[in-house]
Amino acid sequence: MNTRNLLRLFTAAALLLAAVPAMAGDVDAAMVSNTCAGCHGTHGESVGAAPVIAGMSEPYLKSAMMDYKEGTRYSTIMGRIARGYSDEEIEAMAGFFAAQTWTPGKQELDAELAGKGGALHADKGCAMCHGPVGTAPSPTVPNLAGQFAEYLYYQMRDYANPHAAIPTTAMVMRPMCQNLSDEELMSLAHFYASQQ
Amino acid sequence: MSQLNRRSFIKLAGSAGLLGLAGPPLLAHGATKARVVVIGGGYGGAIAAKYLRLADAGIEVTLVEKDPAFVSCPLSNEVLAGDRSIDSLTFGFDGLEGHGVKAVQGEVSEIDAANREVKIKGGGTLPYDYVVVSPGVDFRWDAIDGYDQAATEAMPHAWKAGPQTLLLRKQIEAMADGGTVFITAPPNPFRCPPGPYERAAQIAHYLTRHKPKSKVIILDHKTRFSKQGLFTAGWKRHYGDMISWVSGAEDGKVLAVDPKKGVLITDFSEHKADVANVIPPQRAGAVATRSGLVDDSGWCPVDQRTFESSIHKDVFVIGDSCVAGAMPKSGYAANSQGKVCAAVIAARVNGREPPEPSYVNTCYSLLAPDHGISVAAVYRYEDGNIVAVEGAGGLSPSDASAEIQQREAVYQRSWFRNVTADMFT
Repeated sequence: MNTRNLLRLFTAAALLLAAVPAMAGDVDAAMVSNTCAGCHGTHGESVGAAPVIAGMSEPYLKSAMMDYKEGTRYSTIMGRIARGYSDEEIEAMAGFFAAQTWTPGKQELDAELAGKGGALHADKGCAMCHGPVGTAPSPTVPNLAGQFAEYLYYQMRDYANPHAAIPTTAMVMRPMCQNLSDEELMSLAHFYASQQ
Repeated sequence: MSQLNRRSFIKLAGSAGLLGLAGPPLLAHGATKARVVVIGGGYGGAIAAKYLRLADAGIEVTLVEKDPAFVSCPLSNEVLAGDRSIDSLTFGFDGLEGHGVKAVQGEVSEIDAANREVKIKGGGTLPYDYVVVSPGVDFRWDAIDGYDQAATEAMPHAWKAGPQTLLLRKQIEAMADGGTVFITAPPNPFRCPPGPYERAAQIAHYLTRHKPKSKVIILDHKTRFSKQGLFTAGWKRHYGDMISWVSGAEDGKVLAVDPKKGVLITDFSEHKADVANVIPPQRAGAVATRSGLVDDSGWCPVDQRTFESSIHKDVFVIGDSCVAGAMPKSGYAANSQGKVCAAVIAARVNGREPPEPSYVNTCYSLLAPDHGISVAAVYRYEDGNIVAVEGAGGLSPSDASAEIQQREAVYQRSWFRNVTADMFT
């Protein structure tokens, strides 16, 4: 087999593999994912305050939905909704939204708060896991840059709340957030939201 | 676009008024795969039109809407409280035209299923391969003695947002302190099951601040209602004894009205109202009835997997007008149904099997500006019916903290921004 044929074979195999997540069993990725759009915007491009999910990483989306489903992540409504989907459907959704383009949330922000948040981000070592400006450096870490400030603030409030379930992987966030005042949490939220 | 269609479209444009001709010129893209006419530009129709175009740009979609713009019923109770303008609930169809949907203003007289044509009042026809009907609800004008179209000027229903909402707001504003606002709630099924009870909260929210000696009384046809525990607790907490609810089992059923005297009549009582909001019993939208799509129930039977009418082939009915198993008559349900229906039509046009359907409802109510509550459900198709997935969905917890109630109020506004962006951008 010459190189060109090998390459063709490889391309065909890659295409087949790429097609698999979208087709998981009988699940139609667009069908199940479009059910989310009423709250998260068409293709997950939320106009706020519900989080933007378009272009989030597949592993993060999947783990977030599985945590909601299993009750290991506190939510107002997502737990009730996530329990309605099979693991295969959740996988299909994660693939669908990960394939969209991240669109930073347009929102009104307080520049002074964002400035304070930027200083905190540097001081507290947030960049270690969340990257220099909150742009996820790893697919298991959520993208914060350009996310909606209200949503980010609520998540940090939940991390700080000992009665709110948070996933094991996010346990490190609990002491981090408990050691910050409410205004500091809001500042961080405005900082990440402003990273458009 | 075919010659026939182009000619009839121009004829329609001349007779019924045209919202615009923007959007990609379909002619330039070669043969049109199919022509779909969508009737109604609301929570169901706007979504079906947009998602048909997203699924396949080869499908020509014409949206026929009788009004020049759409006014959302969800959140319109906040207009009654004075916390929201009707403009913030009003949407044009330019965004849909950006997706290549042709938006046409006109009232449909009927669907001629035999000839596959939608007939427009005042002349003009639109030929179709598939038609999606999403006209919302119509009122049963024969159900409450004395409550006819003319009576809505004295006793607004405000159950279709727009001038009726503003009229009810005006009446509440004009009422003296110490007055009584009556809301009559209809029997099931009806549009927006939590709506009358959220409305009571929103009116009380206004009265508490401006006319604190006033009362809100709900006369209900039913013996229980949506989110009842959460509403009852929320009314008490925010408005004390201002709101009371009269069950259908305790003489709550309004049988007749006297609009001139402002009187509501039940089996054993006559209630003199300072403001009377009569939400009448409902049925499928009038165009569905005129087109022979309803059965004896007054609603449209459909194949719940596809939303194709059980009566006419290639005619699909979505939203409030159809019978959709366990799904309520809500905006989000219509949104979800519009997407299932669009996927089915796109699959048929392309000779594919339609995908396994998946449906959701998410519905928020606002008890006070900082107190939201929600109900959600995920649905599947099983043995001919749409059923709620067991173990999922349900209500906000009754012991939610003030912080979480406030968060749900933020997410209620977020819901509105996103669901309307999903429809109109």
